Amino acid sequence: MKKNGVKMIKINSKNVDVFYGKKQALFNINLDIEENQVTALIGPSGCGKSTFLRCLNRMNDVIDICRVKGQIIINDFDINDKSCDVVRLREKIGMVFQKPNPFPKTIYENISYGPTIHGMAQSKNEMDEIVETSLKKAALWEEVKDRLHEPGTGLSGGQQQRLCIARAISVKPEVILMDEPCSALDPIATAQIEELIDELKKDHTIIIVTHSMAQAARVSQNTGFFHLGELIEHGSTDKIFKNPENKKTQDYITGRFG
Amino acid sequence: MNLILFIFIVLLGFTSYYFGRKKAYTIQSTNKRLTALPQFYGYYLAIWCAIPAFIIFSLWAIFEPTIVKLLILSDYSNQGYLDDELNLIYEKTKALSRGQFTGEITPFIEASAEKYLSLRSIAQSSKAVIVLSIIIASVAYAYKKISSNSRTREPVEKFLKVVLFTASLAAILTTVGIVFSLIFQTIDFFKVIPLFDFVFGTHWYPAKAFVRDSSEALDPTMYSDTFGAVPIFAGTFFIAFIAMCVAIPIGLMSGIYLAEYASVKVRQYAKPLIEILAGIPTVVYGFFAALTVGPFLKEIGNSMGLDVSAESALAAGGVMGIMIIPFISSLSDDVITSVPQSLRDGSYAMGATKSETIKKVIFPAALPGIVGSILLGVSRAIGETMIVVMASGLAANLTLNPLESTSTITAQIVVILIGDQAFGDPKTQAAFALGMSLFLVTLCLNIVALRVVKKYREKYE
Ligand SMILES: Nc1ncnc2c1ncn2[C@@H]1O[C@H](COP(=O)(O)OP(=O)(O)OP(=O)(O)O)[C@@H](O)[C@H]1O
Ligand SMILES: [Mg+2]
Repeated sequence: MKKNGVKMIKINSKNVDVFYGKKQALFNINLDIEENQVTALIGPSGCGKSTFLRCLNRMNDVIDICRVKGQIIINDFDINDKSCDVVRLREKIGMVFQKPNPFPKTIYENISYGPTIHGMAQSKNEMDEIVETSLKKAALWEEVKDRLHEPGTGLSGGQQQRLCIARAISVKPEVILMDEPCSALDPIATAQIEELIDELKKDHTIIIVTHSMAQAARVSQNTGFFHLGELIEHGSTDKIFKNPENKKTQDYITGRFG
Repeated sequence: MNLILFIFIVLLGFTSYYFGRKKAYTIQSTNKRLTALPQFYGYYLAIWCAIPAFIIFSLWAIFEPTIVKLLILSDYSNQGYLDDELNLIYEKTKALSRGQFTGEITPFIEASAEKYLSLRSIAQSSKAVIVLSIIIASVAYAYKKISSNSRTREPVEKFLKVVLFTASLAAILTTVGIVFSLIFQTIDFFKVIPLFDFVFGTHWYPAKAFVRDSSEALDPTMYSDTFGAVPIFAGTFFIAFIAMCVAIPIGLMSGIYLAEYASVKVRQYAKPLIEILAGIPTVVYGFFAALTVGPFLKEIGNSMGLDVSAESALAAGGVMGIMIIPFISSLSDDVITSVPQSLRDGSYAMGATKSETIKKVIFPAALPGIVGSILLGVSRAIGETMIVVMASGLAANLTLNPLESTSTITAQIVVILIGDQAFGDPKTQAAFALGMSLFLVTLCLNIVALRVVKKYREKYE
């Protein structure tokens, strides 16, 4: 999206290095993410896509041996700075995982979890409203509105994943990170989620990791190609897919190596 | 003699294994394919050694004594002895032959004893000869029979299966036997003491039942107010309750710490250390409770002007709680660790803190397993004997004051069965009735606990 003809940068990462113990997983990543656009991260398995994604909401903190260096600036603020509050950061940057992971609670409680933690609703009515709008945005409302108080784990895989998306958007994040959100789903559920992503980008900035070239081409405006922990090439999806500058990108996209 | 024979047979077994394998190798070297690995040929021969040996030994054990007895007593037949007298003569003969006879020795008995000894030695040597020759014959037969295409694997596997089956059968039969003896004795007990008196009576005073002279006839009325089990049931649950008040909070919190907060290194050392607590014999806890905690509580109580007995429910329950901590801690640690990481990630990614995640996601998810581990802890507490016997007194007071002494089911069983007892006496049978109640309670607890734990396991396969 352009404002006054200038691209708005939501996330700006500078010289990001990540280490797991002694092993370096990411090398000097410099990547800008545009606001209200979908950015796809592609690359062969083990190249560090998930690792980079997890840097953006500091989920790597959870892993003892993981160390992150460099700057990641969101809203003019370095999230790796000591003064950054992880709780606030993760409120602003939601995440959807590869395998649907609804909590073993009711559908309603799954959605109200985040708003409760962040004290977003003052009354039951407000909470009901948040749950309803989140489920509607995640295109799940019609299917579950009569069974809000049944366990979320009882839904189908595709429904569970949309529930997780609804859970993520319940706290109105500015950015949503998605790590292979469709890899456990069938083509129909995948199509539903892709449609949803397109819808969500109006209000959110989305970064999606995917192994499907077709999916990256369908849903994203920008693409970054990772290889062995390095960002080889990034730019508009059109350009990356039609005439990549780097030979490796070309080979990967045309399926000549993986 | 028997031992030497046994060792010899075992050696024979090894030898036949060796020969079987060797034959298999020989067959293999002529470029024929075997139907099984060479070891199976060895095992096969060893089985041909073991089975005949086992059969003959069992037959001998069954028939030898009867036959010897018949032969000895044939000397006394037609002399008008009664069966009982004949049995007595045989017992005397046996005792004399072992040199353990202390009565008057008649020439008849002496002759019988000599005959007994010679019969035994004949039996022993013929057993050795028969066993060895049959084994050698059977192994030789099997050795000749095995060839490149004989089936050796299947019989060996089947033999193993039978052996394992027999072992588990033995375990099950023992359990069933114990349960049945409990049941029958309990039924006998309730023939004398009405069930109602036992379950609702409030006076437990088995020492009173002991004054009865065994020559007197059984008079049920003399047992009224003797076997009322309410005080000891109450004491049992009360002490278990005190124990759980100690064990649940500490065990649960240490389990959560180990699973969620402790670094890999701390966990690596702390967990085995806590589990060592579970390895301390309960007697040790018992004298800790009786000699340290009890007097300590008494002193503190006295200094505050309270009347505390040296053997108090509090001392026993508290120490028992410490004993149970490792169960709850270790089991709940396992349960919490097995909550999938993806749930934690999901919660952290929503911006939840560690304690929020534990409270709202992990704990509810792990709750069934935690409840299961607590129930197992309770059933330990109820079945615990040593600590109670040593630290909480043996008088069955009906009280809810933790500073007084109370008694439990287990402790009363000990009280009843220490010293003289007679089988068939209501006092002895009371122990069985108590054992039965204890068994029922812990059985129910264990069943419920295992159900709960299993249900939880299924959920996160
Ligand atoms: N928890 C961890 N501990 C140690 N090394 C890790 C850990 N997570 C990832 N790595 C290593 O970091 C590198 C990048 O992993 P990452 O998961 O980011 O790859 P990816 O691009 O997401 O792969 P995939 O497409 O298979 O998901 C890999 O070499 C991996 O072995
Ligand atoms: Mg990944």
